[in-house]
Amino acid sequence: MTAYLLPVILVGAMVYALVKKVNVYDCFLDGARDSLTLVRNIFPYIAVIFIAIELFRASGLAAIVSGWLSHPMKYLGIPPEIAELVLLVPLSGNGAIALLEDIINTYGVDSYIARCAATIAGASETIFYVSAVYFTKCKVKTLRYAIPVSLFSSFCGMVTACALCRVM
Amino acid sequence: MPSAREIECSMNIVFVALTLLSLVFMTFAAPTAALPSMISGVTDAVVLALKLTAIYAVWLSVLKMAEATGLDRKLSRALRPVIRRIFKGESERSYDHISVNLASNMLGMGGATTPAAIEAMASMCREEGKATDNMLMLLVINATSIQIIPATVIALRAAAGSANAASVFLPTLIATSCATGIGMILAKVCASASAQKEKRGK
Repeated sequence: MTAYLLPVILVGAMVYALVKKVNVYDCFLDGARDSLTLVRNIFPYIAVIFIAIELFRASGLAAIVSGWLSHPMKYLGIPPEIAELVLLVPLSGNGAIALLEDIINTYGVDSYIARCAATIAGASETIFYVSAVYFTKCKVKTLRYAIPVSLFSSFCGMVTACALCRVM
Repeated sequence: MPSAREIECSMNIVFVALTLLSLVFMTFAAPTAALPSMISGVTDAVVLALKLTAIYAVWLSVLKMAEATGLDRKLSRALRPVIRRIFKGESERSYDHISVNLASNMLGMGGATTPAAIEAMASMCREEGKATDNMLMLLVINATSIQIIPATVIALRAAAGSANAASVFLPTLIATSCATGIGMILAKVCASASAQKEKRGK
């Protein structure tokens, strides 16, 4: 059923745009133009995190660390192969996308591990970035309970995500 | 509270720790593999950047259409009553910013989300340097992600040749709603706990 989701959204958006007399061609030109700027801005982040990931993998450290984490993670239903992703997600959104691509290439896009990773990457936000940037205009000194609450709830979301990928 | 500078600092720590440890490890285990694996990392990054350019070119176009038809404004108007209930006792201007922030976050319009959130936080700020419970609630909702369609993730899966790229749509939606729900409840609990503590303190 979800296979129809994207085409239906696209058809809906385009028909709605026609009804509202919006210039669809111009919208697509704008979108394509903006995508170049966007990727140019995030490329350094992706490149640098990929250097770190590749070294971490190639040195064999990744295997050791996932070995440590595998037991507590398995207990919660999170595959140990995506332990790195769970740790990186609150820190860097672009890094998480890069790592997701890596996991997809390694384990196959429709494997359980890659689907878990995709769900986790799609369902979470870079908590530390958000909490730093949102208060740039009003200078708040202490966030009290906000960060622990956000981290804990998004971790709950990740556990839910892995459980759901088992059945869906 | 972490400032943007401190975030970069903490990424610096993460990056240095990861690469330095790996490099030291490799010096003993596989000294010839160090440089090639760094370069192959960036090669992967270039390939991913090209894929992302394609993904964003399509998805940003769809979002531009939605923006031009006023879909984001419609959603933010629909969210208004709910927002009024969650964030009690704020000004109309704050409600405006909050609804734009949440609506654009739900639609995945990254561009409008952050400025609206910054304005909302500034308009809710009563006392310099102090975060009110409503401000922290907005932060928690944003930090637990409320995106309806995880477009980048679905497109990445499609580009990798998935049999059904959108199959992660429902699990993602449920997982993110769970996270946001738990976050909102915990934020409320923490807020009332700290209010009681303050009362007792006086």
